[in-house]
Parts: sequence; C-alpha cells; structure tokens
Amino acid sequence: MAREEFQAELGDLRDAVVDLGRTVLDQFRRAARALVEGDDETATDVVDGDGTVNRRYLDLESRCIDLFALQQPVAGDLRFVAASFKILTDIERIGDLAVNLAEHALEKRRNYLPEVSVDDLTGIAAEMVGRALDAYERGDAAACHAVADQDDELDGLCQRVAQLVVEDLVGREADHTVDDDLLAGVRRLLVTIRDVERVGDHAENIAARTLYMVEADETLLY
Amino acid sequence: MSKNENTITTEESTDADPKTTDEKLISTEVTTGTETGRTAAGGRTIIEARNVDVYYDDLRALDDVSLQIPEGQVTAMIGPSGCGKSTFLRCINRMNDLVDAARVEGDLLLKNKNVYDDDVDPVALRRRVGMVFQEPNPFPKSIYDNVAYGRRIQGLDGDMDEAVEQALRRAALWDEVKDQLDKSGLDLSGGQQQRLCIARAIAVDPEVVLMDEPASALDPIATSKIEDLIDELAEEYTVVIVTHNMQQAARISDKTAVFLTGGELIEFGDTEKIFENPEHQRVEDYITGKFG
Repeated sequence: MAREEFQAELGDLRDAVVDLGRTVLDQFRRAARALVEGDDETATDVVDGDGTVNRRYLDLESRCIDLFALQQPVAGDLRFVAASFKILTDIERIGDLAVNLAEHALEKRRNYLPEVSVDDLTGIAAEMVGRALDAYERGDAAACHAVADQDDELDGLCQRVAQLVVEDLVGREADHTVDDDLLAGVRRLLVTIRDVERVGDHAENIAARTLYMVEADETLLY
Repeated sequence: MSKNENTITTEESTDADPKTTDEKLISTEVTTGTETGRTAAGGRTIIEARNVDVYYDDLRALDDVSLQIPEGQVTAMIGPSGCGKSTFLRCINRMNDLVDAARVEGDLLLKNKNVYDDDVDPVALRRRVGMVFQEPNPFPKSIYDNVAYGRRIQGLDGDMDEAVEQALRRAALWDEVKDQLDKSGLDLSGGQQQRLCIARAIAVDPEVVLMDEPASALDPIATSKIEDLIDELAEEYTVVIVTHNMQQAARISDKTAVFLTGGELIEFGDTEKIFENPEHQRVEDYITGKFG
C-alpha cells in the first residue's frame, strides 16, 4: 500500500511540474506579446504573477526533497525525482525571464525595435518550452533530441538578430541620430534577445533532464 | 563448462575444537592460484563463481550463478528472503558443509583455486575467508580472549597482545575497550559485540570477510559505526555482505549482486548502476518496490 501511495505521489508530482511549466509558458507568451504590442496591463499581470510561480516552485521543490528523504527512491523513480527537481529550477528561471520581458515592455524606451522583431525569437523559444514539457510529461526521448536541435536554430537566430541591431546602431551613428535614450533602448533590446536565448537554453535543459530521466542518457547534459 | 559435484555430508564447525583445527591445518594447505582474472567492471578478481548450483535435498537454492567478485572492494548481495543470497555467501567459505542436505555444483574459486576441491581444508579456508553473522555471537570469554581465540587455534605466531590490539583498532573498538580487556565480551552492547566479532574475524588476517546482515539487529547509531567500519575494512580486505537493507547496500558497496526468487542472480554490477539504472526490469521492479 505504501509503495502504491508513493507511485501515486510520483504521478501527482509529474502533473504538478507540468502544470507549473505550462503556467510559466503562458507567462512567457503573454510577456512576449506585451512587449511587441505595448500592452502594459498584460505586462503588469505577468510581473505580478511571478510571486505565485515562485511559491509553487518552492512547494514542489520541497515535495521532491520529502520524496528523497522519506521514500529514498532508486532506479527509474530516482531519476524521475532527480530530473523533476532540476527541471523545476529551469521552469522557475523561465518565469524570471518572462518577468524580464514584461518589465522591458513596461519601459518607455521599448519603442526601439529596428527592422528586427523579437516575435520570431519568442515564438521559437515558447515552442521549445512547450515541446520540452510535453516530452517530460510523456517520457518521450525522441522529442528531447528535437528540442535540443531546435536550440541550435534559436541560438543562430538570436545571434543574427543581435547582429542586425548592432548594424542598425552603427548606421544611425553615421547619421548622427544616436542619443542616450536610443543607446539605452539598444542595450535593453540586446538583453532581451539574450533572455529569449536563455529561455531556449532552459527548454533544452528540461529536455536533457528528461532524456536522463527516461533512458539514463546523459548525452544532452554535456 | 565442467561441473564439479560436491556432496557435503560432513559436520564441521567454524568454532571447531583447537586440536581438530590444528590437525587439519597441518595436514592440508589451501593452495592459491597464481593468476587471477579481471571483473567485468575492472579490478582483480578474488572470488569467482562459475555456474554454481546449490540444492537442499531436491530444492534448488541457487540456479547457475556466475560472477566475479573484485578484490579489495565491498560487494553487496541483495534480494528477497529465500532468494539464495545467504546461501551463496555461505558457499564461499563452505559454511554450507554444515548442512547435511546441501549439495554444491559448479566451481567456486578463491584466487583461481576451487574451494570445493578435495585438497582444500574447510577450516583453513575459513581462516582466509572470515565470517560475521547477523546476531553478534561473542564467546563467553573475555574481550581479549575473544579476539585471541582465532589466532590461538590457528597456531599463529607473533605478539598476541599486539595482534589483539591491532584487530580491535581495525574494528574501531579499541578506544572503547582498551581498559577492560578482561571484561566478558557478553557484557558489551550489541553494536560493540558485533565489532568484537569483526575483530575476532580479522584477527587471523583473512583475505575476505563475509558478513550476513551484520547490522540488522543493531540500532541506527551502531549500524552507522558498522557501516563506517566496513568502509575502512575494504582498504585491507575484500568484503562481501548480505543485506536486506537496500539503502545500506547502496551506501557501502562498490558492487551489488541482485538475486531474485528461485536462486537466480539477475544482475551484478557497479552499485551506482544497479541503483540508478539497472539493466533488468525485474531488478528495477524489486528495488523500487514494484513487486507482488
């Protein structure tokens, strides 16, 4: 009976991790939309919602520690709890990065968006997070590799977009139209591009931990 | 693979009377192979089982067990009650000789020498392969005599006081008993008694120490001391331990063998691998409690 309850607890933990992950994914998508559309209300909602995300994260982390201490899981159960424990950190960090985007959206200098759009970047990053969470929920090893491949695509795209921003800045400097506000906007945009790229990294981490969980395969961890 | 059949009918005791033991020591010498194999995971092999079957009358207690135990490491045997893990342990120093109905087939090699060969004296073998049991079983003698006993009956030369002190030190008991060596071993606590038995076992300088659930009758503090001691013993001896406590096996062993019902050895390998990612679903199910 005790072991059946333990197995039920593992199932509950999986559901709760996925649920928190999807909440954070929604936070990220809404922050990205707020940034592009200048939607202060949505951006504020995202910032305000982070406290709840953090509390749920700490609660789930505590549940993992309880499982380690009280159930002493081994083999597949051990890999599941250990992977979940690490994945929770990635999910919480994605929540923080969503807040970064939302705070950028609330800044008045957000209008500096040259010929590039962060929309494409956030779309890919959000897709990666969603696929990584699906892989974790289903225990799908093949999907983990697909997420890792997609991170290469996102990294390349972020690099090209950052390059375009810098080239745009250089062009404006030639036209003597660079001022402090513009520089601050460029700096913020570059940070945002980096944040989106990090969301992709966290999605890849989730995939890597999931692959370890499913097949004890550490390939994607390195 | 050839099989040597050894039908065991003799009544022999590890605590045999000194005269008998001395006579056997004089008459028989356990030979040691000059070459040793390598275990699958590296390390020199000290004990190798090749297709070992054990029967108690018609009941098969071990089913075609083959494995190589590395020297100088701790190897744990786990599995449900009746799976044959203690039977295997007792094969290594021929304790099953004490069971009339027991019959061992296959080869069980200690440094490449089959311990069931006719020219092997079980008593001499047990000096090389000591054993510690589940219940501490000190003799009703002084602490000193408990430790000295094995050396005396084996006729080992040297400074007895020094040997007793060294054995008690290695068993992490010296500091607790050095001022009361004349006190009866039975007056010690359970954990101290078990460490005394370990001191007694190692006093004769064995190569292998077998432990059959050595901490199952002890409280957590005494268990912790025994586990620390096992870790230290592995620096000088090969330790093979049977335990029902899987977390204990995970904590203290380098290698783990998993026996399941029917006397089958299902999996043997690095302890980390067994407890993190076992090869066999039956092992995964057993260690995660998904059985029954």
